[in-house]
Amino acid sequence: MLTVRDASVFFAARDGSEVHALDRVSLDLRPDSIVVALGTSGCGKSTLLNAIAGFLPLSEGSIRLDGRSIDGPGADRGVVFQKDTLLPWMSVADNVALGLKFAGVPLRERRRRAGELLRLVGLEAFADAAPYELSGGMRQRVGIARALATEPKILLMDEPFGALDSLTRENMQELLVSVWARTGKQIFFITHSIEEALFLGTTVVVMSPRPGRIVARFDLEFVRDFARDGSVGAIRSAPKFSEMRETIRNIIHGFDARMGALQ
Amino acid sequence: MTAIADVRTAPRRAPIRRIVALRPVGRGGRPTLAITAATGGGLIGLWFLVSSLRLASPLFLPRPDEVVTQFIAVATDGYANATLFEHVEASLARVMSALLLAAAAGIPVGLLMGMNRWVKGVLDAPIGFYWPLPPLAYLPLMIIWLGIGEVSKVLLLTLAMFAPICLSAQAGVRSVSVERVNVALSLGAGRGQLFRDIVFPSALPEILTGLRISVGIGWGTLVAAELIAARRGIGYMIMSASEFLATDVVFVGIIVIAACAFAFSAAMRGLEHWLVPWKGKS
Ligand SMILES: Nc1ncnc2c1ncn2[C@@H]1O[C@H](COP(=O)(O)OP(=O)(O)O)[C@@H](O)[C@H]1O
Ligand SMILES: [Mg+2]
Repeated sequence: MLTVRDASVFFAARDGSEVHALDRVSLDLRPDSIVVALGTSGCGKSTLLNAIAGFLPLSEGSIRLDGRSIDGPGADRGVVFQKDTLLPWMSVADNVALGLKFAGVPLRERRRRAGELLRLVGLEAFADAAPYELSGGMRQRVGIARALATEPKILLMDEPFGALDSLTRENMQELLVSVWARTGKQIFFITHSIEEALFLGTTVVVMSPRPGRIVARFDLEFVRDFARDGSVGAIRSAPKFSEMRETIRNIIHGFDARMGALQ
Repeated sequence: MTAIADVRTAPRRAPIRRIVALRPVGRGGRPTLAITAATGGGLIGLWFLVSSLRLASPLFLPRPDEVVTQFIAVATDGYANATLFEHVEASLARVMSALLLAAAAGIPVGLLMGMNRWVKGVLDAPIGFYWPLPPLAYLPLMIIWLGIGEVSKVLLLTLAMFAPICLSAQAGVRSVSVERVNVALSLGAGRGQLFRDIVFPSALPEILTGLRISVGIGWGTLVAAELIAARRGIGYMIMSASEFLATDVVFVGIIVIAACAFAFSAAMRGLEHWLVPWKGKS
């Protein structure tokens, strides 16, 4: 289990003043869960993810994975960014197997594992393709396969589908849920889309901007229903789904109103 | 009704469609090869005309066919103690050995300067001082220290070619995206693996650009240096010819120099295609 306790982050702004990006955030990520952090841009979501990934030290607070304090990035936490970070000089299969190469796994075994993972994300036909020959959605699928290759305890995803068109995006959401259902990986997922948060999260935390705080938390069943029944339409059109959407929208618009009143 | 009938019975004609495109900015990528070829042909024609009509003295402007004849003569009988091939060979050997030395030093030093604050801090001052100097300004120093032989010329070229390679390797390291590095770290990359599998290949396109620039600089510098201090080489051949007012041999030399420069640039482009086929695609 991953626990974030009273995590605060202060950055130095360009003019030397402090930017309070994250304010005493506490969060538990349990096995088999998808925790989605939802908030407008600039509210500290990436900061939180970077701290969990170990790219960014905390100003205050602690992050522990199975009781051990996190100090730096490691193969126990796989990362997928919005920006595609595949290496263009390697084939798709070699990209997927990159973490295994770092771990010293022999070539044949790497090939075999890469093949399995590409099958998992539906890209087995593209093992020998170059990343730049793939579409944006396919590249993100390769990114997911690559992050899974080292068998991390947790998958950290920073708006991974943010740059995709809405149709591709829905396909990717379904794919992610099926990967989650099959592998049982716990996932920490960041988005600024309410629909995406509701569809994917077993838990959704809503963040407020400046300083970034968790202001609401919802435990949801939509994603488990989808993983069981596989019916997207039923879930997205359920009255409970649109109710939830309105609730969260009101919370987020509440900040806007308050910010507006301040100005 | 009649309109529909008309359409049905009208004879099928290939439709004359107006093909449209957005208005281009500048020349908008339309092909220029034909214009270029025509201009080249025109210039040679003009050369032929002016020299045949003897509008300029043959001493200043030989006819194209005279240059071709001279080319064959220089290639077979030689000029200034060596055949054309031997002159070119001497020049190429200098540039190539300097390129190898400059790359062998410039790539690792540049990468280190990009990675390490201390290396960067120490080397910035000396490189910053000598790099803007025109190489011919320190050629006399090279000759005083090392004599007029091959060593001074190769070292001059190595110095001239080192800086662009070194600077481009640094720029290559700077161009590596933070996300790419972070993803590799979270895949468990160690320092050496990070360098070998992420930083170096990411920097490679910039490094190759640096090599291309440095070959251009090296070739230009070499020919100029050979004009001053050499006993063999294409620059030396031109210089000897000019002393005897053998303008046609000077023309031969200039054409060979241009052909070599063109070949270098084509070879470097080929190298880029081969080593970094992904360049500009991600
Ligand atoms: N390296 C940094 N230096 C200074 N300020 C930063 C830095 N990174 C992020 N910030 C600021 O911290 C806040 C949160 O940023 P971020 O976590 O990227 O937001 P989000 O991912 O939710 O859009 C923003 O106001 C941003 O301007
Ligand atoms: Mg962000």
